[in-house]
Amino acid sequence: MQMVRMELSGTSQEILSARDLGIVACTRCSKPAPMGAQTCSRCGHRLVSRDRQSLQRVWAFWTVGLMCYIPANTYPMLKTRTLFQVDESTIIGGAVELAHHGNWGIAFIILFASVVIPLAKFMAVAFLAISVKQRSVTSQRQRHYLYEVVEYIGRWSMIDIFVVAILSSLVQLKSLAAINPGTASIFFALSVIFTMLAAQAFDTRMIWDTQTKDEGLKTND
Amino acid sequence: MTKTPPDLPISPTRKMFLSGASVIWIIPILALIVALFVAYRSYAERGPLIVIEFEEGAGISAGETELRFRDVTVGVVEKVGFTSDLERVTAHIRLDKDVAPYIDNGAVFWIVQPEVTAQGITGLSTVLSGVYIEGSWDQQVGPVAERFQGSSTEPLIRGGQGGLEIAFRSTANGQLTDNAPILYKGIEVGRVGYAKIAPRGNFAIVEALIFEEHRQLINESTRFWDASGFSVNIGPAGAEIDFSSLATLVGGGITFDTFVSGGAQVSDGTVFEIYPDKETARNSVFNASEVDPLKMSVVFDDNISGLIVGAPVEMSGLEIGEVETLSGLVDFERFGDSRVRLNAILSIQPAHLGLQDDVTADAALAFLKERVENGLRARLASASLLTGGLKVEFVAVEDAPEASLNETENGLALMPTTESDVSDAAATVEGVFTRINSLPIEELLNSAISFLNSAESFVSDEDLRETPQDVRTLLNELTGLVSSDEVKNVPVALNGTLVRIEQLVAKLEEERIVEQLSSALDVASEAANAVSSSVEGVPELVESIQAVAAKAETLEVEELIVALTDLTESADAVISTDDAVALPGALKRALDEVNATLEELREGGAVENVNLTLASARNAADNIALSARDLPQVVERLTALFAQASRTIEGYNKGEQISRSAEQTLRNIQKAADALASLARTIERNPNSLLLGR
Repeated sequence: MQMVRMELSGTSQEILSARDLGIVACTRCSKPAPMGAQTCSRCGHRLVSRDRQSLQRVWAFWTVGLMCYIPANTYPMLKTRTLFQVDESTIIGGAVELAHHGNWGIAFIILFASVVIPLAKFMAVAFLAISVKQRSVTSQRQRHYLYEVVEYIGRWSMIDIFVVAILSSLVQLKSLAAINPGTASIFFALSVIFTMLAAQAFDTRMIWDTQTKDEGLKTND
Repeated sequence: MTKTPPDLPISPTRKMFLSGASVIWIIPILALIVALFVAYRSYAERGPLIVIEFEEGAGISAGETELRFRDVTVGVVEKVGFTSDLERVTAHIRLDKDVAPYIDNGAVFWIVQPEVTAQGITGLSTVLSGVYIEGSWDQQVGPVAERFQGSSTEPLIRGGQGGLEIAFRSTANGQLTDNAPILYKGIEVGRVGYAKIAPRGNFAIVEALIFEEHRQLINESTRFWDASGFSVNIGPAGAEIDFSSLATLVGGGITFDTFVSGGAQVSDGTVFEIYPDKETARNSVFNASEVDPLKMSVVFDDNISGLIVGAPVEMSGLEIGEVETLSGLVDFERFGDSRVRLNAILSIQPAHLGLQDDVTADAALAFLKERVENGLRARLASASLLTGGLKVEFVAVEDAPEASLNETENGLALMPTTESDVSDAAATVEGVFTRINSLPIEELLNSAISFLNSAESFVSDEDLRETPQDVRTLLNELTGLVSSDEVKNVPVALNGTLVRIEQLVAKLEEERIVEQLSSALDVASEAANAVSSSVEGVPELVESIQAVAAKAETLEVEELIVALTDLTESADAVISTDDAVALPGALKRALDEVNATLEELREGGAVENVNLTLASARNAADNIALSARDLPQVVERLTALFAQASRTIEGYNKGEQISRSAEQTLRNIQKAADALASLARTIERNPNSLLLGR
């Protein structure tokens, strides 16, 4: 209790976290419980003030997502078979090709949606995961905002997969023309899924902890 | 007080290695394992890279152009580059691992491109899909090779493809067509590759492949010939048009046949010659057979043109050889005269006589010897009516005079001959035409024309035209004379005359005039007799004329015509003489004179002249008697003349030289006629023979 008070007085200008108050909230039903409680008295969910393994999961999913992102870019995304030729193009290759044909707008959209955003997501998640361990110059609010953006945008990355799925189900004109999903589409989907999982695995409460108090994390489960 | 949460057991943190590690790490580890496994798999399954060099890129592109084997993709071009000297294009091909071991040194690669040739269209699919590289290799795993030389065209012999690999060599006038099919009875049984000039440059050589299933069609006796295009032959055997199929007409082709049986099987690498046509190919079988030909000599009495070197020698219609050389032969000792005979040396191919066991020239000679004793003879026969070519024919003659195959001094067997069966319509008809041609028809016509001209000028002579007028005047004057008073008074005068005659007779009676009259009558009688005898001589004359005519009939037409020509010429000459031309004038003058005489008669005392007339009559009678006496002599002389003419003609008939030629001519004409008749019969029996020459 003394400790709590001390901390409270020490961080008077900062946002007071539940952990600082010795409270742990149930992540399922939001019922607060005193620190140290093992399970939620209401719903029986395991109570954890800070998920120690959150970062591990983040990094694990992040790694898998990144691993999937590599073949997603090297393998062809779409397999377009017209009467005379089979065209297989990767995401970047397709965008470059579109740019060659003068469709700068579409090329930009593809590049932005399929390359920039996923990469930005990787970097954002990585940044967040690192920032909770080390002192960051960005404010906690900004980081939380960034996390929300990442969480929000993550699902839209699947639009690529939707486009591929819709195209390949619509354009099946026997031998005349056919579009089939390429290998990359699966990896891209996996990549998106794992980045979303990584983002979800991130325990946002850690943003609010002061990075200097590593020991506090370690002492409290 | 608020109820404090119950004390929860707080377990101490165990610090162990990986104690804080979440199970979630299994996922990336699994992913990593899977990725590594896939990477390993794809690396392990990656086939080797081979490099194929091509002359031209021909549309090969990296990542797209496939390598196919039996139309299944077994590799993809990974990179297209150049050799270091930029001479050739290199295609780096990543092979499928499972076929890679088979691609050894024997593998061949070529680029499949759309191709339109006379044989058809190939590689049509590549128009849309782009070119691909086709490879071919055998089923044996061989030593690994990395660099290959690709060709731009499909190789003739693919690795692992069965078939008889042979080569063709062009002959002097043969020709080879690239990539042509080898046809047998219209079916493609093989294919020819690309022709090359032999190292020594004396002929072209091309390799060819007979497909495995047709291998047994080829043996050592097989002869190939060029079936491309078409050939038109007009030879001793008539006209022939020859072409195999429309495809070969356009694109060329080679076909073959095995003309004689019994050739041994051939092995790969045998070289065959390509003959320009079927005939040459067929003949080559006999030329090229191992057996030496049997040479024999034949001497023909008839020297008939049309037999040429290379003319066939046939027996029962089968060609067993050919005429090798032809020469004239004069041998007084052997033949008893100095006529030029035709000496033909024949080359008989024993292999074609159908000898059973021993196919040699000696066996053929023995065989022919035996046959000759049974009546086999050589003769000349027409090979074709159209061209007049001759051939030598061996025929069995029944009841032939004894003869045998004797060797002449030059070591050749002399084949006895028999009468030529030259339904040599050509030769004989030609002779007839030559003779007809040499007849002086033009001269005859010229003579006739000039004769007619002369006759016309004679007829159109003015004097001759005036003759009728003169005759009419004469008749008028005669009428006038008869109707004149004086003539009317003639009876009176006659009466007086008669009175006087009476007196005269009386006086004559006195003066034995009767005797004189009697003698005069005797003379008249004699004259009559003479006339009678001369009439008796006439039949002889007729006979003589008949004889002459008969002789003349037997005379050669030519001579006759010449004589006729001469005659007409003479007649012409006679007619065109001045005398003949002057004849009308003379006639007119004669008539004038008669006229004048009559006039005189009318003017002068006709009656007085009666005495004179009678005297003249007597003179005339005397003269007639005299002439009558001469007439038999004339007749006799004529008879003699004709007899002489007959003798002359007879003698003429016997004249050696002309007689023979006349006989010859007539015989020839007769033969010609016979020949024509037989020709006509032949044609009637078999109209095709005119076309086919048989």
